[in-house]
Amino acid sequence: MKRITHLLTCFIMLVFVGLSSFKKEAPQIKQQKITLRFQHAIGGEKLALETPLQNMLGEQMMIEKFKYYLSHFAVEDYKGNIRKLPVHYYLVDEADSLSKTISLTIPISSIKNLHFLLGVDSIKNVSGAQLGALDPSNGMFWTWNSGYIMAKLEGTSDVSTTQGHRFIYHIGGYKKGQNAARKIMLPISKMDKNVSEIIITADINQWFISKTSLRIASSPVCHDPGNLAVRIADNYQNMFSIKAVN
Amino acid sequence: MKPAKNFWMLIGLVFSCVGWIHIDKYLVTTHPIRFIVPKGWPQPVYDFSKNPLTEEGFILGKKLFYDGRLSKDGNFPCASCHQQFGAFNNYDHPLSHGFNNSLTTRNSPGLFNLAWQKEFMWDGGINHLDLQPLAPITAENEMAESIEAVISKLRADKEYRKLFKAAFGDENINYLRMGKAMSQFLLQLVSSNSKYDKVMRREASFILPEQLGYEIFKKKCISCHAEPLFTDFTYRNTGITLDTTFKDLGRMKITGDKEDSLKFRVPSLRNVTKTFPYGHDGRFYSLMSVYEHYRKNMVVIGNTDPILSNKMALSNFEIGQLTAFLNTLTDSSFLKDPRFAAPGSVINSKAPVDIHE
Repeated sequence: MKRITHLLTCFIMLVFVGLSSFKKEAPQIKQQKITLRFQHAIGGEKLALETPLQNMLGEQMMIEKFKYYLSHFAVEDYKGNIRKLPVHYYLVDEADSLSKTISLTIPISSIKNLHFLLGVDSIKNVSGAQLGALDPSNGMFWTWNSGYIMAKLEGTSDVSTTQGHRFIYHIGGYKKGQNAARKIMLPISKMDKNVSEIIITADINQWFISKTSLRIASSPVCHDPGNLAVRIADNYQNMFSIKAVN
Repeated sequence: MKPAKNFWMLIGLVFSCVGWIHIDKYLVTTHPIRFIVPKGWPQPVYDFSKNPLTEEGFILGKKLFYDGRLSKDGNFPCASCHQQFGAFNNYDHPLSHGFNNSLTTRNSPGLFNLAWQKEFMWDGGINHLDLQPLAPITAENEMAESIEAVISKLRADKEYRKLFKAAFGDENINYLRMGKAMSQFLLQLVSSNSKYDKVMRREASFILPEQLGYEIFKKKCISCHAEPLFTDFTYRNTGITLDTTFKDLGRMKITGDKEDSLKFRVPSLRNVTKTFPYGHDGRFYSLMSVYEHYRKNMVVIGNTDPILSNKMALSNFEIGQLTAFLNTLTDSSFLKDPRFAAPGSVINSKAPVDIHE
């Protein structure tokens, strides 16, 4: 009897060992860590908050707040396969240096393109209160017209006609015709290299000039979803560019 | 047999460890509440699976609703503009008082049957009940407080830490939990026990003027104020003129569509005799002024509701019968339900003297 039990135990163990080694041999996707570093600039100049700057339209300004949401990261390999990463929401804030570094684990070794969403998808805009980056206490949520502010640029400018010469761009909207979230694709183009770090520049000048010009003097305020917000979103979708891939 | 014995011991040990890890789940228990849909009513739109009702969640939500600390100076709990004897409207106030002697720009609506409502506010700008408290809390002319500050006040309070733990399993306090708890209270404000409801359940019968009024109502009002909720939750232009002070364009502010200019949500007429003044800005002092609006004063413009393109013919006789019917929509058991009264208070069922009656 004792012998049979021993034999049985051995057999079961063998089966387990066999199964686990089989699992190891199965083709495994190589996981790799990469770090995205966001640098904020206005033209060639590094962004400094509350410091006099000038945009490409020649309007003087001092920026106080610059924040935006990023989500839905995906990487594209050289065969054109796009692999979506687990959905996570990041709030990048010029005033918070930690927020400008995003670590991702990607399932491929060489990346042709990096994809992400600048903003928050419509589903999260209609699903009630959230936690983390999407917590409404982060000041990126409209309370009177439910929805996330996808990107925010705020400060003062002498050309602004508002009280205190302020300019306020709170850009959001998720409904049809009002969507201010933008799909971004950045070419990485490092075929043979194992990428570990990508440095991305966000150029605030693009808010003002990219597709249509946005003059602080004529439109100092946008804090509603709608035409102006969509126009600014069409501009800011071009603010990102790859500075370096390491 | 020894290996077998060891094997079973090991299994036993694993199970007891797992049991210990999960012991909290069994020791900290909440008491579920079943949400009852009144007979003949549609299914609610609120997703209860994401926020299951419990006695503990309800108690926490009620405390928050009645707590002035949700406002900047402590003077403006939600309940200051939502009073139970007015079906949780701001009784006899066209507009409400807010922080620093300010006034709101819209009439505070009654709060009931919110589980059936998909969008909130007169313009439907808020798309989820859990998010609704954010608006009055942060509005400068209402509670004027930041969400961050509210959360830190709650975190600093031992009693709240206890209540959050009882409702959600641990002492973590954040807006997600706060919003859910408040919804638990608000969702249970169900008003379905008026004379009208009793008549529909065949427990009572209308007297003649009420019955006549009901017939008139079914002919002239029901296309917007649909039974059983007495609203179809649409936004309509009813010939209300633009207020030159507030310049409130209603639904258009949310959609940006000119077609939505001066459209406001059709309000429920349940408890209507208690929710005066009427209209999005409280411009109609009494039911009589609402009738006068529909039959005489309204201004028909391009996007005025087609039903009202020739205004609404209403004789004095009809007005009398309609009023008799509308009186049957008052749910006095809801207005006096001690479950919804301020924590620790003895319910004061007496409303201030009502000069409308």
